[in-house]
Amino acid sequence: MNNYQLIILADDKQVVLERILQVTRYRGFLINGMNAKVNTGTHVATIELMISSERPIELLVDQINKLIDIKGVKVDNSASQ
Amino acid sequence: MNSKKPLTGGVLLFKVLEQQGVKHIFGYPGGAIMPIYDALVDSDIQHFLCRHEQGAAFSAVGYSRASGKIGVCLATSGPGATNLITGLADALADSIPLVAITGQVSSSAMGSDAFQEVDIFGLSLACTKHSFQISCIEELEGVLFRAFEIAQEGRQGPVLVDIPKDIQLAELPEQYKFISNTFREKTNKVADVGSALALLSSAKKPILYVGGGVGMAGAVNELRDFISTTNMPSVATLKGLGAVEPEHELYLGMLGMHGTKSANLAVQQCDLLIAVGARFDDRVTGKLNEFAPNAKVIHFDIDAAEINKRRYADVAIMGDLKANLPALAMPLNIDSWRNSCAHMHDNFGFTYDDYPQTNIYAPAVLNAISNKLKESGKSDHSVITTDVGQHQMWSAQHMSFTDPSNFITSGSMGTMGFGIPAAIGAQISRPDDIVIAISGDGSFMMNVQELATIKRYQIPVKIVLIDNAKLGMVRQWQDLFFDGRLSETDLSDNPDFVMLATAFDIKAKQITQKDEVTSAIDEMLAHEGPYLLQVKIDAKDNVWPLVPPDTANDKMMENS
Repeated sequence: MNNYQLIILADDKQVVLERILQVTRYRGFLINGMNAKVNTGTHVATIELMISSERPIELLVDQINKLIDIKGVKVDNSASQ
Repeated sequence: MNSKKPLTGGVLLFKVLEQQGVKHIFGYPGGAIMPIYDALVDSDIQHFLCRHEQGAAFSAVGYSRASGKIGVCLATSGPGATNLITGLADALADSIPLVAITGQVSSSAMGSDAFQEVDIFGLSLACTKHSFQISCIEELEGVLFRAFEIAQEGRQGPVLVDIPKDIQLAELPEQYKFISNTFREKTNKVADVGSALALLSSAKKPILYVGGGVGMAGAVNELRDFISTTNMPSVATLKGLGAVEPEHELYLGMLGMHGTKSANLAVQQCDLLIAVGARFDDRVTGKLNEFAPNAKVIHFDIDAAEINKRRYADVAIMGDLKANLPALAMPLNIDSWRNSCAHMHDNFGFTYDDYPQTNIYAPAVLNAISNKLKESGKSDHSVITTDVGQHQMWSAQHMSFTDPSNFITSGSMGTMGFGIPAAIGAQISRPDDIVIAISGDGSFMMNVQELATIKRYQIPVKIVLIDNAKLGMVRQWQDLFFDGRLSETDLSDNPDFVMLATAFDIKAKQITQKDEVTSAIDEMLAHEGPYLLQVKIDAKDNVWPLVPPDTANDKMMENS
């Protein structure tokens, strides 16, 4: 099992967090931890996901990037193993 | 549009639909969408009352796939909305642009377990490309424009807009400023194909693997030009059928589980696989790590998430096929490979004359219909829809199509009950063309209520019902892979289909013998209105070839 940390920037729109969690589960990743906050000035949400899976992280990054309200997804390599 | 009516949410919806060029919609009214149906009365848009919301969704899918236009469906809250879900999932899986409008209970009642309340917004997450729930009248217009934009941009798909009843009734404030349609122009930026050119120029056995993305991108002409320049062998997925000219001497047909022997063998032997708008679906690849084992891969796609998802791409070319495919076209020196593929094409074709019985052989019927359309010059002006099962695979194998929009089938989701409502939508979008739904007796009963829609609007679809009184494909697998232990696949208590069709004022006929086929097809095609042709076949007929599950595509089972 590989552990990863994702940092996701998203427009603060309806159910964006639910969408990310649904895609993460469906694509075969376990969520081990999460931090989420919204910058009320820019209306941008920052979501950190600590996840694990046997699958390569690129598969999930591409799927999250497809979500309409996502501004960017980064893999935090310092936290991933 | 009656300008004296107050500009409510319901009225605004139709104003936007009209601005988007929508002429036809499919739906079913109910309590939480009544203000929208009230506004419909004053709209120029034609609404088709289906007899189940799933039928409305599939009709919208068929409408979209036959015409290239966006499909629109409507349903009320609760069960109306949940009945749309299968159609939305089907559209998502096959990348079909739809906009689904659902009524919702009033904002003040939401979250109270109100009558006919369901969280369709939450339920939509896994079965739409995107979804919206309207929270105030001021955002409705912008969301609707955005819904149409999202449905059509990039990899297309369904978008749901959930509108609470109070917002359908609410009037726009006087100071409201209308927004213009801000659909962004597509930019056809050509990708860097340098690495792909190097791979192609050194390949000895390249083959083109054509998927549904070609038709979705409107790139059929570019694909055919590419084939003309390269004279490269090609194969197609179920959803890619029609993209390649069916008569091309190096077109080997469908690949995969029920693909042709020549297509599967050629792909297994190739040294370069050029995937064009295809996604290495499990029904295509068979055992994935033995699929095209000697091939490098060039993968054209508009969806980054499809690259390396199931098969590593040596070169990925992202973006619009229309722009990118011509950049790779060049003459190739591959005569030995061409001769090998042509030999397979000529020697591994289907035959229809050796069926030993007087019973009807379904592949021969479907091939005869296809040939009849071709001989009468109507191939370009005919649409075949199918349901799901043996008849679907036989249609894919034994009929030929001159464009992907002429063959409409539930590919990825494999949804039984798709064919009849999809044919209704296709016929409405192409009223001057012949639309034939090929169905099976299992699938037919799954949306049989749509015969009432056919009757109401006198939609002249032809239905060819391949009837083996079985869930044939499941029965075939039970025979082959479950030791013949038949479980819940017998449908011998089916209703009298001719009587059933007749009850809906649909002319119908049953045939049981081989020598009845030709005249029955002629009669069906000559009939001006809707028609059902019930074709009784042997319950033990199987679809061949068949690649067993988790098996390489060159280890197919054949009829013996």
